[in-house]
Amino acid sequence: MAAADNTSAALRRRDLCSRGIRLAGKMRSDVVDLLDTYVEQQGLDASASVAAVEGVPAAAVERWDEQTGTQRLLENLAAYRAFRALLAQMLEEQQEQLGEADAALGRALAAVLLQVSAFTYHLEELLRLESRGPPSEEGAEPPPAPHLSLFERKLRGLGVLRELAQWAVRSTRDLRQLAKPSPGSSSAASLAESP
Amino acid sequence: MWKNSSLRCLFAIAILCLRSLIYGQEIGSLGHPQNLKCVTHNLRKMICTWDVSSKGRHGQTDILCFKTKEKRVEIPVPESSSMMTITTNSISGTAFVTKEFEIHKKDISFVPLAPRILSLTPDFSTSTLNLKWSDNGSVFLYGLDAFWQIQILRKEVTYYSKLTHEDIILSWNWTSDMPLECTSHYVKIRCYINVTQFVGPKDWSDWSPVEEVPGKDTEPNGSGVFPQDTVVAVGSDVTICCVHAKGQQIQRMTYGREIYPMIRLSSRSSAIRVLNASASDTSGTNVVCRLSEDDMDGTVLFVGYAPDTPQNLSCETSNFLKIKCTWKPGRPSGLYGKRRTKYSLFERISGKNVSCEVNEMNRERVCGFPVLADQKTYDFVLGVSNPIGQAESLLLLDLTQRVHPKAPEKLAVSGKSSTSVRLHWFLNGSFAEIRLLCQIEVSHGHSEQRLHNVSMPGGEFSTYTAQLNALHAYTKYQFRVRCSAADHFWRWSDWSRIEEHTTLEAPPARGPDIWREKSPSGKSLKIFWKPLSLSEANGKIVSHEVSCYLLETPLEYKEVTEPSNSTEIKLGKRDCVISVVAKNHAGSSPPSRITSVELPSDNVKTDRAVAMGNGIYISWSSYPNMTCGYIVKWCHSSGSEPCSVDWQKFPSNTTDAVIKSALFRPGVRYNFSLYGCKSSGYQLLKNITGYMKELPPKRAPNFTVEETSSDSILVKWEDIPIEDCQGFLEGYRLSFAKGEKDALKPTLSESGNPELKVKNITDLTKKSLKILDLQGKTSYQLDLQAYTAGGLSPPNSLYVVTKEDCKIKETFYPEIPNPENSKALQFQKNICEGNKTLKTLEMNPCTPNSVEVVETRSAAPKIEDTEMMSPAADTTVPEDGSDSETENHVVVSYCPPIIEEEISNPPMDEPVGSSQVVYIDIQSMYQPQIKPEEEPEIDLVTTAGYKPQMQLPVSALKIESCSPAEEELDKTTGYRPQANTNTWNMDTPDSPGSAESNNENASFGSPCSINSRQFLLPPKDDEDSPKPSNVGWSFTHFFQNKPND
Repeated sequence: MAAADNTSAALRRRDLCSRGIRLAGKMRSDVVDLLDTYVEQQGLDASASVAAVEGVPAAAVERWDEQTGTQRLLENLAAYRAFRALLAQMLEEQQEQLGEADAALGRALAAVLLQVSAFTYHLEELLRLESRGPPSEEGAEPPPAPHLSLFERKLRGLGVLRELAQWAVRSTRDLRQLAKPSPGSSSAASLAESP
Repeated sequence: MWKNSSLRCLFAIAILCLRSLIYGQEIGSLGHPQNLKCVTHNLRKMICTWDVSSKGRHGQTDILCFKTKEKRVEIPVPESSSMMTITTNSISGTAFVTKEFEIHKKDISFVPLAPRILSLTPDFSTSTLNLKWSDNGSVFLYGLDAFWQIQILRKEVTYYSKLTHEDIILSWNWTSDMPLECTSHYVKIRCYINVTQFVGPKDWSDWSPVEEVPGKDTEPNGSGVFPQDTVVAVGSDVTICCVHAKGQQIQRMTYGREIYPMIRLSSRSSAIRVLNASASDTSGTNVVCRLSEDDMDGTVLFVGYAPDTPQNLSCETSNFLKIKCTWKPGRPSGLYGKRRTKYSLFERISGKNVSCEVNEMNRERVCGFPVLADQKTYDFVLGVSNPIGQAESLLLLDLTQRVHPKAPEKLAVSGKSSTSVRLHWFLNGSFAEIRLLCQIEVSHGHSEQRLHNVSMPGGEFSTYTAQLNALHAYTKYQFRVRCSAADHFWRWSDWSRIEEHTTLEAPPARGPDIWREKSPSGKSLKIFWKPLSLSEANGKIVSHEVSCYLLETPLEYKEVTEPSNSTEIKLGKRDCVISVVAKNHAGSSPPSRITSVELPSDNVKTDRAVAMGNGIYISWSSYPNMTCGYIVKWCHSSGSEPCSVDWQKFPSNTTDAVIKSALFRPGVRYNFSLYGCKSSGYQLLKNITGYMKELPPKRAPNFTVEETSSDSILVKWEDIPIEDCQGFLEGYRLSFAKGEKDALKPTLSESGNPELKVKNITDLTKKSLKILDLQGKTSYQLDLQAYTAGGLSPPNSLYVVTKEDCKIKETFYPEIPNPENSKALQFQKNICEGNKTLKTLEMNPCTPNSVEVVETRSAAPKIEDTEMMSPAADTTVPEDGSDSETENHVVVSYCPPIIEEEISNPPMDEPVGSSQVVYIDIQSMYQPQIKPEEEPEIDLVTTAGYKPQMQLPVSALKIESCSPAEEELDKTTGYRPQANTNTWNMDTPDSPGSAESNNENASFGSPCSINSRQFLLPPKDDEDSPKPSNVGWSFTHFFQNKPND
């Protein structure tokens, strides 16, 4: 019975991972397109370097291959929750600054926000497959945005989208890693194990 | 006490002064008080200062009653000029020196006290400084004009005010053309008071202490690009600065994509100046201050336009609940989002104001305003503003004159009548205060719409009703409604949706139009009726009742169901009155009556009608005794079906008519019968025949050559069947000219032949014609055409060769050898010697051969060998034969046919070229007939008698065979060169020289088909002609040795 449950959970997790990989791929593609639109519409230099966005864990991480599955999922979740809040903020600012003037950018932003929300939910589902479940969002809200000039907000938006593009790549890799069956152990156990 | 004694002293001085003025003044000397100067700051007291010599420095000075240890004293300003005595005492009190000064009013200076700045407040968002100071007006006894001079960094400004004997805080704003953050700004102020009645010199006060608004570059951590997120008008000059940390260097500053030169403001601040700024993109123009590759700062500048004045402001209500105002915004501001142009609608009478939520991207803006109770007149101010400016538009209106209802809803049609309906609809609005005008559009089928206007009192969200009368029975109508205000029309509502309704049936409005025809025996009568129009039928006609009455006594009754439109009744020997009644579900029509009596007529003529293109015009004389009009009857015949009778009735005063029918076709003959109507019956008056439109005859008459001589041809033709005439035949046209048969030739009339002669035969009874004055032994083309008013038929053509004068032939063209072994060449010896009747000389079964010429060279220009042309012709005995072709050409044929060659750019030194000639067994390759049009490039020479082989076309040929199908070739007259020097190579197995083929061909006497125009059988006397056995003969050679040359 327990073996059957394990198998079912493994299948479910594999299914979630593969769908998550597809979602991340699509998200990456859409974010790259959105970045082009954003840079052009905001009159920015595509090569401009932007400081790291506060509140978003960096996609680049040392000793990535040593991370446990749970760690990966938790980091992903934290990042996408932050992106969800930041993109919502960007959408609001977009509306405030441009009104109906550039509806296409607004629509593209909303679409990516939707994907980020879906991916966040996806990650939560994966964590639920673990016995621990996703961490509460209470208290995990990103700090209220500091008062920024419009130019700073433009750059911040650029930073958010760039980081999101990076994260989409990393998430794909994380999910691929998670989807791999752990040799010599049940796949259900492979999430939480290891150093 | 002191004060009182002072006053006394002043009084004494005054007395002294007066005296002093009478007796003169004393001049100071060394050690004495000197250089007395008096200055007043408030016009009440003055401060006088003086110098003394060093000796008296330590003493005490008495100025009249004032004692001072200083060299200044503040004393009241004298009313007029006065004397002042300054006594300098020693410290012990001993008078040291006394000096008198005469003080004139004009010597007293007025210098206001330096103003004191109360506050200097910067507004960074607008780069404005606000300066506040007190005018110290209370120190003056009366109002004065004051001027204030303010210095800001590099600017100097003069400010004017009035002093009103009170201390007033003055305020002055100054907007910098540079953001205040860019660098520190300093302000100081001084004043000048214009006391007109003060005669002394007046001067500016001292400057106040400097106040400072520190720039960001003075703050230890101050940095940024300024102004931050500002909106400016298009065309503005803008200064933008970048403040950075100490030690940093600005690499460049860009405005949009453009790098601007920097103006150094301080060690930590630099600026750029953008002149005549142009409109920004929707997200603003970025100004970037690049400090290093990784570090930059920036700001966003929004450059746009002040709002345009709203245009075409218009307000209306659809329901008296809400007023909808619309306008056009004019030029876009180029500012969006929070900086967008905002609109508000202010109504002046009520004082009510609403802000308008408008979509920036819409061309037309809309704003709603509530209808206010008991207010008819509205005075609107549409206010429009954005960060750059504002504008407004005004509109005064009476709301009852601006009613634009919404489309009526819930339209319904009811009614159980054949002629009327009731319409109901709902209007969403409160129209109790006005009358409504509604328009009902009625349409049916494809008829044009009719509009009915209905005026009615308005109601509160009510249903309205209208009745429509005078409708047609059994008609499907479409209704729709729209409404407006009745008394003050403004705009129609949109139309409601369409509602359909069919009225009930009613009895047919009239009896059908009827006619009758007696059978030839007179024993039966066929009755015809025309269907009633929809508007007359009033429903679906189900049957017709046909009765036959004799003096009110019914003899016969029939009910004929639809769709029959005729019936037959037996009359016996009696006539009767026929009554026809149309019936539908609602009832019967009034009866239509007609008598069966046919009055005898004699001498009935047949006239012609006139084709009108769209109808047939017929006319007749007036017949006074035809009291009840005329009937024109005709019959339409379509294919195998019996013709359908049609008729048209005319009143008795009519004598002509154009008969039209959709069934009439051009070129078809119609026969009409005109009947007159008398009370006793109908009488046939005349027959008329005619066409709606005459067309040219379909074809020409068949014609034949009856007889020919050396100078004449007799032709004979047949009639054309009437159905082929397509009009009234007016005559024949016979055209003739010299010419031989040529498939490519146009008809004679189109050829433009200058020798063309035309005979016009208008006597239609004439069926033959003899053409005279022709040349002997000449081929003529004859074209015969018939014509109607519609034009000429296509021609029938005939080629005839006139006979020749035999003497000429014998003298100049002796008989040519007759290859006895060729059946095809069994000509009659001489036409002159033979049968007198004309014979068509056609080749009897021609044994063909086939030559395929495969050209590998590119096509070369065609060469017409005119050298070979000769008018000379030998006599050829024609062979009897019948005309097997429609063109009836008369030819003398010779077989094998001439194979015309193509000369492909013949190189003179390369006679063989690369032409490949394939000989096909001429016996076995009898090819099936091919249509002449499939070989259009074969130039056919169709003449009678012996002809030299000239006029050979040099078109490209792929000659498959000498097949019987190539009749055109077969019919080629006489004797033609059959040579191809290319193929005379005896080495070629397939060449005519090869044993087999040669043997086979021997029966013809010469090769049948070759690719050349060289004579194989040269003319009899042509001794020098090249022989076929001349192996290696070249084309060049041929030309070079041509004997006729």
